[in-house]
Amino acid sequence: MKLLLSDRELPAELVKRGDYKYISLVQKKIHNCTGCFGCWVRTPGKCVIRDDATEIYPLIAQSEKLIYVSRIYLGSYDIPMKIMLERAIPVQKAFIRIHGGETHHVQRDVKEKEAVIIGYGNLSEKEKNLFENLVERNAKNMSFKRWRISFVEENEVDEAVIKELDLWEN
Amino acid sequence: MGKLVIINGSPRAVKSNSKRYGEIFKGYWGDSAEEFNVISGRYREICMCVEKHRELLFIFPLYADGIPAVLLGFLKELEKSSYKHKPTVHAIINCGFLEPEQNNVAADMIGLFCEKNGYPLGMILCIGGGEAILDTPFAFMAKRKIKKMAAAIRKGQSYRLKTSMMLTKNMFIKASSKYWTEMGMKNGISREDMDTMEIEGKTNKE
Repeated sequence: MKLLLSDRELPAELVKRGDYKYISLVQKKIHNCTGCFGCWVRTPGKCVIRDDATEIYPLIAQSEKLIYVSRIYLGSYDIPMKIMLERAIPVQKAFIRIHGGETHHVQRDVKEKEAVIIGYGNLSEKEKNLFENLVERNAKNMSFKRWRISFVEENEVDEAVIKELDLWEN
Repeated sequence: MGKLVIINGSPRAVKSNSKRYGEIFKGYWGDSAEEFNVISGRYREICMCVEKHRELLFIFPLYADGIPAVLLGFLKELEKSSYKHKPTVHAIINCGFLEPEQNNVAADMIGLFCEKNGYPLGMILCIGGGEAILDTPFAFMAKRKIKKMAAAIRKGQSYRLKTSMMLTKNMFIKASSKYWTEMGMKNGISREDMDTMEIEGKTNKE
């Protein structure tokens, strides 16, 4: 399964394809993670907050290829995408393993994936570098076997999304 | 002008380890401090208070390898404030992993916030094993570094500290497994239940 998850409205020209899922966070109701650890110690694998995030994190887990589209703020995913990624911790277990020489959470049934992150905004080189460092860390916790970041201006995002989807086709 | 304002950036607020780290810090600070939780949503009140202090201490946990979304929201509000006086910014960041260096990206984000908005950057303390360290024999290590941090802030110093439990990675895995298993047991959830591969009740094969 291939997943496109965006913090913007999706480009109008997106074509439906077999195992592709396109999700915009714009219309989704997703609350902040409350840090209750319920998804680890009360209802393992399920968030106790039953909002739209519960439909999305299983898709993140199932995807073998994914594209995240997010505005960047302070070298981080901006708030909508960050909230979603924080709410995706039910895909991990509380338990710790050694991975890449560091301690990280054990994953549940999460497929290793190729990730492309389209980061947009008016970004300095320092901010881009910081975001690259963040994604490198994410890779260890989010099962990215390969990843690539594409920095674009806001008015270039739709074009970049179409281009990346075409690359999946080819 | 007040000396210190502490802003707790944890979504767990009063139940958080950040709160506990703040209490320890106050004990070593030995002076008055105002405290706020970002999840209170009282952004305007907090922002107005920030200008009245010389030192601003953020305390927060690492979330998805970075700053929690709730704190990012507050930082955006703080960016909108046009203060004449900007306090020196400090941070205590804790993660559940053994390696305190896993907090470095979040620490750099605080640094970037300061750089972009003209706040002096002061002390940063990165704590590994931060979910549990205060309830272990290694609590003294966290307390010692917090004490050192408080003294450094009083001296106007600016550098990064780190601390964690004195355990090998394998020992940490054993200890953390015991910790989490006991947390599950308190809720009537067995180790096997916690170990499920299912996400929302399904695996990829279904």
